[in-house]
Amino acid sequence: MTSSTPTAPSPSPAAAAAAPASTPASNTSSSSKPSKQQQSSSQSQKPKPANKSKDSASAASAGGAAAAAPADGATAQLTPAELKKRAKAEKAARRARERAERESGAAGGPGGAGSSAGGGAGGGGAGSSAAGKKDGGSAAGSAGGGGSRQLPRRGSAQNASQTGGGSTKHKKTDDKNVAVFGHLYGQQRRTTVAGAGKEVHPAVLALGLQMRDYVVCGSSARCVATLLAFKRVIEAYTTPLGTSLPRHLTTYLSHQITYLSTCRPLSISQGNAIRALKLAISSIDPSTPEAEAKAFLGEFIDSFIREKITVADQVIASSAAQKIQDGDVIVTFAGSSIVKQTLLLAHKQGKKFRVSIIDSRPLFEGKSLARALANAGLDVQYSLIHGISHAIKAASKVFLGAHAMTSNGRLYSRVGTALVAMSAKERAGGVEVPVIVCCETVKFTDRVALDSIVVNEIADADELITAEPMQQLTGLPDPVAAATASAADAKKGGGSKSAAAAAANAAAESNTLTQNVSSPLTGWKESANLQLLNIMYDVTPAEYVDMVVTEMGSLPPSAVPIVHRMSTNM
Amino acid sequence: MAAATSTSSDVAKPFDIVATYNELLRSDPDLTMPIAAIEALVLLLTHSPSSTISETLDLLEKSTAHLKQSIPNPIGLSAGTDLFQRYLITTLQRPGQLGPAGDFNAIRAHLLSNGRLFIRRAKESRDKIAAFGRGFVRDGSTVLTNGGSRVVASLLQQAAGEKGGPSAVRFRVIYVLSSAKGDVEGSSAEPEGMETVRALREKGVPVATIPESAVAYSLGKADMVIVGAEGVVENGGIVSRMGTYQIGLLAKAMGKPFYVVAESHKFVRLYPLGQYDLPIEQRVIDFKTEEDVADEAKQQEQQTQPRTPDVKSPDSHDSVDYTPPHLISALITDSGVLTPSAVSEELIKIWF
Repeated sequence: MTSSTPTAPSPSPAAAAAAPASTPASNTSSSSKPSKQQQSSSQSQKPKPANKSKDSASAASAGGAAAAAPADGATAQLTPAELKKRAKAEKAARRARERAERESGAAGGPGGAGSSAGGGAGGGGAGSSAAGKKDGGSAAGSAGGGGSRQLPRRGSAQNASQTGGGSTKHKKTDDKNVAVFGHLYGQQRRTTVAGAGKEVHPAVLALGLQMRDYVVCGSSARCVATLLAFKRVIEAYTTPLGTSLPRHLTTYLSHQITYLSTCRPLSISQGNAIRALKLAISSIDPSTPEAEAKAFLGEFIDSFIREKITVADQVIASSAAQKIQDGDVIVTFAGSSIVKQTLLLAHKQGKKFRVSIIDSRPLFEGKSLARALANAGLDVQYSLIHGISHAIKAASKVFLGAHAMTSNGRLYSRVGTALVAMSAKERAGGVEVPVIVCCETVKFTDRVALDSIVVNEIADADELITAEPMQQLTGLPDPVAAATASAADAKKGGGSKSAAAAAANAAAESNTLTQNVSSPLTGWKESANLQLLNIMYDVTPAEYVDMVVTEMGSLPPSAVPIVHRMSTNM
Repeated sequence: MAAATSTSSDVAKPFDIVATYNELLRSDPDLTMPIAAIEALVLLLTHSPSSTISETLDLLEKSTAHLKQSIPNPIGLSAGTDLFQRYLITTLQRPGQLGPAGDFNAIRAHLLSNGRLFIRRAKESRDKIAAFGRGFVRDGSTVLTNGGSRVVASLLQQAAGEKGGPSAVRFRVIYVLSSAKGDVEGSSAEPEGMETVRALREKGVPVATIPESAVAYSLGKADMVIVGAEGVVENGGIVSRMGTYQIGLLAKAMGKPFYVVAESHKFVRLYPLGQYDLPIEQRVIDFKTEEDVADEAKQQEQQTQPRTPDVKSPDSHDSVDYTPPHLISALITDSGVLTPSAVSEELIKIWF
């Protein structure tokens, strides 16, 4: 326990808040097994599990705030009074946790802070029943929605050196890096707001975690969210004495940006937006009154979002929708917001076409797209990437979203996109389907990508382990494992603090955890000769892209650098 | 400009843009579709009594739409109308005397004079292209070409003629003539391009004429392919006479360079994804059973005559295909020799 001093006061409020919460939470009949994270009831627990439960707590808070999980049967069983009680407890627990984080945030690195908060959680849950603990685990798991935030993260080097049990793990971490992508493992994603630096604005703190947990996901969404957060930062900003706004604000924003990039590497669109914002800041005359300058920047951000994203999306959607004709079968990959907008618009225009959504693990972004399109009345077929060759046979057009377009005309997008584009161009298979990319010019970059190895992003490999819960008809999944796991949980006493925090989500996706435990890959870090790779993006060669629809018109991929030059010079 | 004077003489009659356009095309064989469209629009503005900018733009938009609707294949035409509209808007937005604040009559006069200037320049561009393209026709080479493109004709003639450069190039031409003979009504008319063939032969250039079916056979003897275009689309592909695509495919398969000659006013804001993505209705592939044929024959007997040529003509003569950019080696335009990917750059420059 490295940072024991700030930890001391934290458990008591957390425990007080969490204890009542566990009782109503136990009502939700969850078949899940407890996660490993609720291991120790004492504060002197091992740092690693502490980190984990901290992880889940932050995931729960972010997930719970942004995406309220749909209520299912279990939630419905609760009486209103119970629900109210639960909500209250949840709120109290959140407050307590936030306080704990704040206190511990000042001292120590992320590892220490994480363990302290987790310690509080563990302490709180000590007295509660096994059922409550189980729920706590599942709630924490479900909050992230489909991801696997409840799983342990690899400790960073810093983390490991700080904590007692980390040293052995550090050695293993190195083994677990896939050699070809070794250069991408550079920094671990931040798991906590602790140690973020006091100048980071709360809005940015929250956004960072949301981006890390894929609550704010997608290039445009991240760009808009960042700009809006920065708008609040600028509103709250006062120029210190002795400097001027144009000179100081840029460095002040840099702290925010650094924090964001430790949560998740910045997207190209974010980078472009930030560059534009910094340019606007530096263009302000130092003699301008502060209020005026801030108003100008607020206006600038608003108009940037409007011009580069909102209106651009409308223009793109309307021109891309023109390419959809009656009888088309549109194949799309994952869940691009602009493709969704396009398809909905075409549907609204009365065009009759089908949509085939190709999705992939672990993010399953296509699911919400499928739901949205089906709700709008479109015919939707949903399949995963391994069904691509089948799906592409019936296709007449492929619409793709983009993370970025590089200067050599290549498409940098969610991993799997290249496979879809290449399948569409598989001449030998007798298929030749036009591939259309919808992309705002704010996503253009002057970088060049030759492969998907040099520039990419590695996500937590643990995300690959969680599988979607499967409906099993033949009895409970692996009862032995379930029994042992629950026994272990009973012994240890899990973090019912996280149970309290995310109790509202407990019912939803409560099965997720089942799979974790039974997955053959759990504990892959401990087993030798096993590496997991969870890459985020891939590069589609320009030859596979027929058309890029931007707000400046439709272009061949070769025209990307020209348009990028023009849109940045303006 | 005989057409212009004839139409402007009867002011009393409401201005008919379609008739003017057709008249312009007929009266001047050298006129391309986009230029005829621009000229028709300029004439329209001379006749229109509009006195405000929005009125002018509105009128322009309406007549453009009308014109596009009444012409079976408006691709080439829309290049001209779009360009003119764009030019008008940028002129009107420009600050100064001719901007929104200025006197509208002055603006109009300026527009009209500039429109005429534009037309003159467009006609001159053909010579410019010929100058750029001459270098491609080497001594002793054989050029395969098709269709009745005036730019290709002028390029070849200039290459052959003494006045074009220091010395005339000795080259041969394989001219692909469309199978107009197969047509029932076109049998009497001579195939498109025969005029060029005669002109070239006159200049001492050996010309062989082949049917479209002999392209693959003859391509082995050719060193390059030069074709004209009706429109150059945004990705650098071309919309051209039916039969160009197959020549492109064959040239690619045989590794012969495939050059396209087109004026830059033929650049269209259009992005076809394939042959069937063109914004025109073409009835090239028309599946029929014996029953349908009988039905049609019966209908034709009953129906009045004017319908028949209208429907028939786009199929037989004016049908176009789309040649994708990867088949094109280079585009020889009046703004230089461009790769297909540079076309979008040129287009973006015009539009932004």
